[in-house]
Amino acid sequence: MSTCASFAVADFKSDLKPIWCPGCGDFGVLQSIYRALSAIGRAPHEISFVSGIGCSSRIPGYTTAYGFNSVHGRALPIAQGIKLAHPELLVLAAGGDGDGFSIGGGHLPHAIRRNLDITYIVMDNQIYGLTKGQLSPTSPRGLHTASSVFGSLEDPVNPLLYVLGYGARFVAQGTPADMAGLSTLIEAAIRFKGFSFVNVQSPCITFGQPDQQLKAHKAGMTSLASVGHDPTNRIKAMDLAQAYGSTLYTGIFYQDPDAGPTYEEAVETRRTQFSGKPIVPRQRILENFIPR
Amino acid sequence: MPQVTERPKPFLFPEFCKGCGRCISVCQKHSIHFADHINARTGVVPIEIDLDTCNACGLCMDACPEPYGLIGRPVDATDWELEDPSHLFGHRPTTAPVPVDIPDQRVALPACEPLVVKGNYAAAIGALLAGCRHFFGYPITPSTEGAELMASLMPKLQGVFLQAVSEVATVNHMYGAASAGQRSMTFTSSPGFSLMLEGISYMIGAELPGVFVNIMRGGPGLGNIAPEQTDIKLACRGLGHGNTHALVFAPSTPQEMLDMTMRAFDLSFRYRNPVVILGDGYLGQMTGRVMLPRDMVKPGIPAWAVWGDAMHRRNLTSSIMLAETDLEQHNEHLNRKYEAMKVEAMADTFVCDDAEIIVVACNTPARMAKGAVQELRHMGVKAGLFRPQTLWPFPVDAFLPLLAHARRIVMVEASPGQLEDELRLALSRADVRTYPPISSVQHFGGILPQQHEIVTRIMDLPAGSHAQAVSGSEVLA
Repeated sequence: MSTCASFAVADFKSDLKPIWCPGCGDFGVLQSIYRALSAIGRAPHEISFVSGIGCSSRIPGYTTAYGFNSVHGRALPIAQGIKLAHPELLVLAAGGDGDGFSIGGGHLPHAIRRNLDITYIVMDNQIYGLTKGQLSPTSPRGLHTASSVFGSLEDPVNPLLYVLGYGARFVAQGTPADMAGLSTLIEAAIRFKGFSFVNVQSPCITFGQPDQQLKAHKAGMTSLASVGHDPTNRIKAMDLAQAYGSTLYTGIFYQDPDAGPTYEEAVETRRTQFSGKPIVPRQRILENFIPR
Repeated sequence: MPQVTERPKPFLFPEFCKGCGRCISVCQKHSIHFADHINARTGVVPIEIDLDTCNACGLCMDACPEPYGLIGRPVDATDWELEDPSHLFGHRPTTAPVPVDIPDQRVALPACEPLVVKGNYAAAIGALLAGCRHFFGYPITPSTEGAELMASLMPKLQGVFLQAVSEVATVNHMYGAASAGQRSMTFTSSPGFSLMLEGISYMIGAELPGVFVNIMRGGPGLGNIAPEQTDIKLACRGLGHGNTHALVFAPSTPQEMLDMTMRAFDLSFRYRNPVVILGDGYLGQMTGRVMLPRDMVKPGIPAWAVWGDAMHRRNLTSSIMLAETDLEQHNEHLNRKYEAMKVEAMADTFVCDDAEIIVVACNTPARMAKGAVQELRHMGVKAGLFRPQTLWPFPVDAFLPLLAHARRIVMVEASPGQLEDELRLALSRADVRTYPPISSVQHFGGILPQQHEIVTRIMDLPAGSHAQAVSGSEVLA
């Protein structure tokens, strides 16, 4: 049902002006999403963009897609509901690291194992920005924040490693410091048939660590292609994912070359399977429950 | 000469049979079959054994998964209840001492200048002075400052601050800390409070204390971050599933945020029940003058705590009571406790002694209402403010005397009548059949009723509802 007409970046820009702090990484992510969507060529009304709560979760409002700024941590269940209700839609989910790995952390493995064709973009800034600078699940140990005044006592999660561990079929990481690369990644993630996960290192200019801003990303990022990574090698991908927090790798960590059917396809197959069966008359309805 | 022992044939009390049929499929003699009727005591169809064809092979006894199911013993076996070890042997012998309360101590505080702090900070300071050393929370505007103050003070006070991964985790951290008899609290706001309700219900069921400061914001759903009073219904009538109630405080100044939080800990432990403090977004953010109390609390350990030493070894906190009779007794016990909590109802009145117009308000709207009452008094209108300080139980006993001279009740609230519902329900429960008409000044979505609105609303009431200074003498003594 994809439309043939071509869409420009401007077609995906809404009338809302982003109210992120000047210099926020999310501007770059938004721009990359515009570019990716225009390259995909689906009409804005065929796209559903779901987010949770957080600074980054404002992002659907800045696109012309059908947006849903939903419940904190629940972007993925809502996105799954939308995709199942209307499988032809292009469903994007987005949010921050707190939304995705803290309060919503329990939903991620199940979205991955169900394998609906959804693209999940996490803007990971290692801080809770909207509530003015508290510890996030990806904050490094020892980080001083409003809720860890004397330094964090907790180790951060490694989102790349754990989505790979959950069996994700498409895992990538990007940064708005490399906008061209990021839009290519998002485009590849959207084109991937199945659940795709893109972790975007999108720095928080107001509460983030001063040495983790876009300039540092630009200087420190290493493309996975440049280290000769083969994205079909899951074990190698997990090996490289361990560098999360120390080396900023950009590119596709893992892409399953042999991804099976998506959940919505499996649902459709089952529907066809049962639609051919004769209908049992009401008088004999109990026969359905007799074990054979 | 070898002794011949006869193998026992299977025996079954039908009420222990769950009708799984495993014995039927293993019986080589086809001696077992399902009965042709349902056992009235269990509601399932038990098996029947034809002992004439049975050769006592014992396969059915091996197959039976029930501990009191098929078993080879004579029919004249005795009272099966006696098989319960605690019936047979009594409680396990122990030398552990019987737990006793280690009482709280009050420690005098040096006199100090009043603080000028935000409502959220005041509540956090109150909690610390009440001996709370376990804080769990999840950032949510407009309550986060309370948690942030705890983050910076707890480590210096040998306390624990933990930022939970969600409000669901928060309430369960508190459940754990409370089980150990420790004082724990959280700050949250409306959407977060919704998430905590499941755990609050469990804490009420398990009779565990904890203090929840809910800085109410606009709803439903995500709403906004501005003040509303729309969790009154939730806190008073809907604390999770089941038969639940908790004391609900409604402070209206930063000073009350501190005082009520201290009192909340005291009552939470006295009644072994969570306590909810409902503030609103303005109150959390509002800066005010706060006097510290004369003394603070060094908490002891209650006798019921699962504290992990020999004395507390046999304690158990649980909200599961599978037997219907047990749960009924537990709920009757909880109801008696809720009834006993009613003495904690508190209210504040302002120039109500001769008031013909009773303005009812709590939290920040009570401050606008107070201003309006003062303005009306200057205009010669006999208005008074009734401010419930606890919303559950509603302080109806303090309200009833005011009805003698009241001609109108005016509700001032940032909700579509949730406080009014509590008042009406309390009046109805108090068997008050007739009371003056109730009008209201309401705002939602983060806007609070303004003083001039309240004044205008009252002045616009139908003639006779209020008496001007001139004609005032002839209306009601």
